[in-house]
Amino acid sequence: MEFAALFLSVLVVMVVSWWGSHRLALTLFSIVLVASVAIYLHHATDTLNLSF
Amino acid sequence: MNRSISVTLNALGLYGVVLVLVTAFAAQILLNELPCPLCLLQRVLFSMLAIGPILNIRFGPHPSHYALSLLAAVVGAVVSARQIFLHIMPGDPGYGSALLGYHYYTWAFVGFVAAIALIAIVLLFDDRLRDVAAARPAGRFADGAVLLVIGLTAINVISTLLECGFGACSLSRLGILREPLFVKQRLPV
Repeated sequence: MEFAALFLSVLVVMVVSWWGSHRLALTLFSIVLVASVAIYLHHATDTLNLSF
Repeated sequence: MNRSISVTLNALGLYGVVLVLVTAFAAQILLNELPCPLCLLQRVLFSMLAIGPILNIRFGPHPSHYALSLLAAVVGAVVSARQIFLHIMPGDPGYGSALLGYHYYTWAFVGFVAAIALIAIVLLFDDRLRDVAAARPAGRFADGAVLLVIGLTAINVISTLLECGFGACSLSRLGILREPLFVKQRLPV
């Protein structure tokens, strides 16, 4: 779900970049980049139980 | 470097991103290899890499546009390096099929680093970087690149929804036992 939401957010930023305002595109890009890093860091500390 | 050369270079960059996203889809569909969560994050960051060129094509070249792509490329390089380290143990087969001897995440790392280097070179030679200009039509070649990358990102939204549904995205839900996740591997002591 979080990745589909991320892709959707990137799509919105692209659409705003191509058809919308410059400032809004920069703001949305910053938010999506922070969200990507947050998702990465959120999962980075998960523990994976391996079979060996 | 005048505006038309800059637009052409940015359009070529977009076609490069399109090539990466299409190759990833080809591996997913032809080889029946579903992308892992880290792979999806790398695709997201490749899509974000395209936003700087889109703004450059529409508004003209500007340092802030190149900065967006640089930030996306740095985060992408960190994420793909993380996945390389997850599979660095001797004997680890890696995740998915290798393409020309390297796995997708290794190529992703090479791609993100190449993007950083190329953007630095463009910045070095682009002496027309100035205030953001008014939006101008860019021509069919550049328009095609923008629409292709937007379309591919839209397809990724649908593909990821089909793969992960509305829950957390995990390969264990797909019946794959060994997950190449973001995680610290718990090694035997």
